[in-house]
Amino acid sequence: MSKADPITTEVVRNFVISCAQDMNASLWRSAHSSVIYEGKDSAVALMDEHGNMLGQSTGVPLFIGAIDACVRIVKEYYRDDINEGDIFIMNDSYMQGTHLHDVTAVGPIFHQDELVGFGAARAHWGDIGAMDPGSVMGSTNIYQEGIRLGPTRIITRGKEIREWFDHLRLNTRLEDATIGDLSAQIAAIRTGERRLAQLLNRIGTSVYRNACQNIFKQSRQMDREAIAAIPDGTWSRQGYLDDDGVGTDPVKVCLTLTISGEQLKVDLTGTSGPVPGSINCGIKQTESLLRLAYKTMINPERAITGGSFETMEFHVPDNCMFNATEPAACEWYFTGLGLLADLFISCISEAVPERSTAAHYGDSMVAGFFSVDPERGQWIAIEATAGGWGGRADSDGESALINLVNGGFRNIPAEVYETKFPVRVEEFAIRTDSGGAGKYRGGCGVIRRYKMLEDCHGALWFERSKTPAWGLNGGENGTGPFIEITHPDGQVENIFKMRARVCLAGTIIETMTGGGGGNGNPKARTFENISCDVARGFVSREAARIHYGVVISNTGEVDKTASEPRVK
Amino acid sequence: MPTHYRVSADIGGTFTDIVYQDVNTGACGATKVHSTPENPALAVLEGINTALSSYDRIDFFVHGTTVGLNALLTRSGAKVALLTTRNFRDVYTIQGNNRGEIFSIRWNKPEPLATLEHTYVASGRIASDGTEVEPLSEVDLEVFARAAKTEGYETVAVCFLFSYVNPSHELAAKSYLEKRLPGIPITLSHQVSPEWREFERTSTTVMDSYLAPIVRKYLATLMNDLGTRLPKGQGLHIMESNGGVMSAKTATENALQTLLSGPVGGTIGGRTLALQTGRKNLICVDMGGTSFDASLIIDGQPSRSNETVLEGLPIQIPVVDIHIIGAGGGSLAWKEVGAVRVGPQSAGSIPGPVCYGTGGTEPTVSDANLVLGRLNSANFVGEMALNTDAATASLAEMGTEFNMTALQMAQGVVDIINAKMADAIRTITIKRGIDPRDFSLVAFGGAGPSQAAALAKELQISEVLIPVHPGAFSAWGMLQTDMQHDFKETMYGFWDLTTPDALTAAFAALEEKGRAYMLAEDIRAENIRFERGIDFRYYGQEYVLTIPVPDGVINMKKIRQSFDLTYDKQYGHSSPEARVEMANIRLAVIGTIPRPKNSSPLIIEPKPECSRQVYFDGKPRATRIIDRASLAIGECIIGPAIIEEGTATTLVPPEWKVDMIAGGHLVMKNKGE
Repeated sequence: MSKADPITTEVVRNFVISCAQDMNASLWRSAHSSVIYEGKDSAVALMDEHGNMLGQSTGVPLFIGAIDACVRIVKEYYRDDINEGDIFIMNDSYMQGTHLHDVTAVGPIFHQDELVGFGAARAHWGDIGAMDPGSVMGSTNIYQEGIRLGPTRIITRGKEIREWFDHLRLNTRLEDATIGDLSAQIAAIRTGERRLAQLLNRIGTSVYRNACQNIFKQSRQMDREAIAAIPDGTWSRQGYLDDDGVGTDPVKVCLTLTISGEQLKVDLTGTSGPVPGSINCGIKQTESLLRLAYKTMINPERAITGGSFETMEFHVPDNCMFNATEPAACEWYFTGLGLLADLFISCISEAVPERSTAAHYGDSMVAGFFSVDPERGQWIAIEATAGGWGGRADSDGESALINLVNGGFRNIPAEVYETKFPVRVEEFAIRTDSGGAGKYRGGCGVIRRYKMLEDCHGALWFERSKTPAWGLNGGENGTGPFIEITHPDGQVENIFKMRARVCLAGTIIETMTGGGGGNGNPKARTFENISCDVARGFVSREAARIHYGVVISNTGEVDKTASEPRVK
Repeated sequence: MPTHYRVSADIGGTFTDIVYQDVNTGACGATKVHSTPENPALAVLEGINTALSSYDRIDFFVHGTTVGLNALLTRSGAKVALLTTRNFRDVYTIQGNNRGEIFSIRWNKPEPLATLEHTYVASGRIASDGTEVEPLSEVDLEVFARAAKTEGYETVAVCFLFSYVNPSHELAAKSYLEKRLPGIPITLSHQVSPEWREFERTSTTVMDSYLAPIVRKYLATLMNDLGTRLPKGQGLHIMESNGGVMSAKTATENALQTLLSGPVGGTIGGRTLALQTGRKNLICVDMGGTSFDASLIIDGQPSRSNETVLEGLPIQIPVVDIHIIGAGGGSLAWKEVGAVRVGPQSAGSIPGPVCYGTGGTEPTVSDANLVLGRLNSANFVGEMALNTDAATASLAEMGTEFNMTALQMAQGVVDIINAKMADAIRTITIKRGIDPRDFSLVAFGGAGPSQAAALAKELQISEVLIPVHPGAFSAWGMLQTDMQHDFKETMYGFWDLTTPDALTAAFAALEEKGRAYMLAEDIRAENIRFERGIDFRYYGQEYVLTIPVPDGVINMKKIRQSFDLTYDKQYGHSSPEARVEMANIRLAVIGTIPRPKNSSPLIIEPKPECSRQVYFDGKPRATRIIDRASLAIGECIIGPAIIEEGTATTLVPPEWKVDMIAGGHLVMKNKGE
């Protein structure tokens, strides 16, 4: 192997990052479904011939680490029978980890008849042939959730295998969009292929390979230095999900984190076994979540490569909801992952107090309204709801921000919502006092109140009422979510999850998302910060007195003699 | 008859570039003076005096200003009170929900320009169809007026839900508050941006309220210092973010439009270059000390957007698309875990590159270029002598860890930054479905012409244009534009349910506003024209594409086809059978400004030619140093060569050649072609 000098290595390192961005730009540009090109529910990666990550670009943080696994699965399955121009797809929840909507396409990249790497593109398909259109809410086994694909060759040496394309068409309610999105994924891989060829023509395969090794070495070294700097020890945390979506029992989640030298170990022993509802998660996506949680605390600003995460080991028992096997339902696989991430981050927070960050509100908090009435027109309004994030060692948690496993999701403006759908958005506001008190306060959740102007259907998936965002270092817990449905006859109902049902005109649904946990003793929060919180409506005067021991006058001034003194 | 001039000024943080054009011959000259940030007019006056030694022969004056942008960047705008709809007070603080950095749990939203303690509410609600659900509460207005007096706000921004459909509540609030708060400027959202999306509209309205007093004060000073010296006080113009110009008087009422006034000049210059040289597609790069601005000319027109984001805050105003990339002469080279990195951090002007001798100790791209012989140590912008020895020493020190000499290190630093810039340009073009190889590269700014050939090679672009006055090209571009103002209205509905009559009437109403605007700008009726457009999307989508609507009778079918075609071009596929909805109508009104034809630059006495050692791919080559002023139209120079002029240095590598073409522009190509 020819050696790559530091300059070439750096040029290659910048190249692989930019190449992945180009691949994703190409995917977003040509995708048919708005969930991909607007919601950015996709990820692409360029890998070496062994499936080691070189560059990646993702719209969804949770896709950080499972795409390389797909390459390894394809390689293992097809071995030497991988040829130039081939494309393979897969979506099986137990192999690649996510729900069946996420279909990953993988293509080998050849240069002068030699395998030099792989390109991969994952995208969320709108309809995968499940028992309900779009997303399923009450599934109890995977067969209700759509078609399952193991590694499957759909293009051979550049030629489409017709029967596979027909098979895909026959198994979705959205034929054209599905094939269109698949074509966009293939286009992304081809973009990577072309860009890599340009580079290889210039520097040659041998220098390129050596540069890749150097890049892995750099990432590895940065991660090792970061873990080595954390004191050794073992930390454990546990929490409960409200339920599995079909039952009512809480679901236990446990995480133990050990640092020893340059290694970080995670163990999920103690976590609930598989559950009947659809919150089970395939092992690869569990790994992906752990990588995401790791990334938030260790070198978050650095690019991810095949040398990253070598410092992390994990153990998930066979009989665990996070190690789903047939026939466990996986449609809402991500709902437990937010809690898992919070547990991980709290463990690191104990180990590295200066990076300590309390728990966040934790899940996507989905509220959807739709009409299937062919006479009055069909429409669907669905959104994830923002909430509060945890206080940090040195600053407050952010308010009204989308949850960790998502990234680019935006709220629908009231003006757009009301123009397109027969629903009035009556209120969109910061939820006062929902952030946990602390020296550094948890961020606040939001209040979003909808009034139905016509009969329609509604569905809700809210979580984390039983284990709301907890505080750290003496900080208090954030308030959990709350939902109130007021029916036109005046009846009031409080629930968190609702499988699609009729909402009559006049129904008011008020959703409130949770706040983040506080960090540090609330009595250490400064008078200035508290009077500012009250002036801005993050904290009420009453809560200032109860939680912070601070009396704020009618004019907004701190009454220092009536207030408790500040502690260090 | 004495010569008259049209003059432009690009006022930057460090330098002010002046370009002057003879109104009879069209010939241009340029000069550069130090900026005077306390009163930018002083530098402009000095520059004009240096170049023309008089103020009374200026027929037209245009300048780009960064006053508004600087006030935003330094958060030194007015104290704003925001008045909004009850139950929606927090919209401007909540913003969009999304996370700016997806792997960070420490990311914070940008701080709004009016925080919650300065946000007030009034009851009153309009529905999406414009009907009143709840009347506006006068009691709430009174409460607000009292608070505003007590708090001493300098300006008031009002943004109520659905005001773009029915502005009656905003208008009523204004007429009430005007009486109670005399002298306080009140900005209404439906006037600044009659477009849906309450967060974006609020952000636009507050931004205007926040910046307007600063921009107005600046314009008043300028009109006082400069306007009075121009004949009849006429001809004082400001560059707009949309690529057009407006009079200083109009700018007083349109502070927001001046926000990106500075950098758009270069792109507009690119448009003229496309026309002059018969090239339709250009990638324009403006490379200075800390950043590198890239923009595109596609089919002869600058690529534009209907909204932009500054400091994380959205603004619904049409702008020329400019992508700012953190790479420039000041980009720092640094080491970690046995690797070399370059940028995105910059040495800036303080401490600056090592060779400036102003305290910088870490090598930069400029240091590398100097060591490679590509910069003239004795002749740099601002006549600062550069310290080659110090630059060499810093690169040599960095090289020890890698067993590389200072020269090897210098070449490496330049290679890395070029590859990075090329990667960034490629990503911008791929997003738009464009192949950079189909474009010519236009390079300007202090550092652009020296990196251009290498950048083109990386991008496999076969042709580079170094325009006339590359160091002052933004100012040159400002002389090439017309008056322009943009109007819009949200008009939402299915295309198949929309009638041509309704559209014609809506456009006619905007045209009336547009005509009045231009007449007030002293543009003659026959010089006014309109460009109509409609924002479209397929049903169910969020983002829109603006489709031009040809003059004359509205042909619904053709416009629809045009949307499918444009969509196909942008995204690689289209759905002619799918239902389409429209979101906004847009009208650009353009007032043509008469101007002479551009001609070749004024010839100045050239410096004698000389030669020095310059390194290319690690090898020293005897390289001709040519004064650009000595080149005649049609002359061809074979690389390696360096073409020097007052404000920039063009590097012609060994495998390249360069032709001087009409207009005084340089066209650089690979020798083989």
